[in-house]
Amino acid sequence: MRNLAIIAFLLMGLTSTPAGAATTSWRSLTPAQQEALAPLSQQWDSLPEQQQHRLLKTAKRYPNLTPEQKSRFRDRLEAWSKLTPEQRNAAREKYRAFSKVPAEHREQVKQMVRQNQEAKVRQSASGVPATPPPLQP
Amino acid sequence: MNTNTNLPNKNSRHIAPERIVQLLTRAAQQLDDNTVAALRQTRNVALQRQSLSKPVFALSTGHNIRWLLPHSTHQWMAAIILFVAILFGGVSYWQHAHENDLSHLDTAILTDDLPLEVFVD
Repeated sequence: MRNLAIIAFLLMGLTSTPAGAATTSWRSLTPAQQEALAPLSQQWDSLPEQQQHRLLKTAKRYPNLTPEQKSRFRDRLEAWSKLTPEQRNAAREKYRAFSKVPAEHREQVKQMVRQNQEAKVRQSASGVPATPPPLQP
Repeated sequence: MNTNTNLPNKNSRHIAPERIVQLLTRAAQQLDDNTVAALRQTRNVALQRQSLSKPVFALSTGHNIRWLLPHSTHQWMAAIILFVAILFGGVSYWQHAHENDLSHLDTAILTDDLPLEVFVD
């Protein structure tokens, strides 16, 4: 009976993931974590525990980033946290696939994206819509 | 009918072992060639079987797989606990590696010089 209890305990430990723990409040975060996750300070307490856990893992890498990377990280964090888990998974898959593209092709794609963005900025500045209006039937 | 013909002679108990060895040696020397050849062949076959059976048992347990199975309740419990511990260790390691991989990817996406919209539908 005692052995069965031990096995049951081990199985419980096996099945319990970090997702099973309680959420972490914003106040309980360290200053370094708060700095990295500052854009999420308002909605942090309402985020699901699993998302909090993953964001905390990601925030661990924040101190090692360059100032430019830190700026991008903070700018994108809120939009990233608002995505659904499926959208985030799809984005990871895209990024993983894109990382496997040869460097020169990757650079070409980046160049195209930059040109596209610049064109959008110019169009929005001049008041012309970025996409042409749909044709009338 | 005498039923005691197959039983050993009670007197044989009193024969000294040295005497038995001498008798057997003498008897062996008196064996004919055919008997000696048959005995030698039988011995060789027995030796071959012995030498074959050992490596088979060592490499794959074959029909002796039962030796690996626990025999008592305590052994079963120990085996189950060991299995659960190995499973737990494996799952934890995989989970840790997976989490690391995801956080690495997330950081890369959040800091890449390509905008987030490129990767998000």
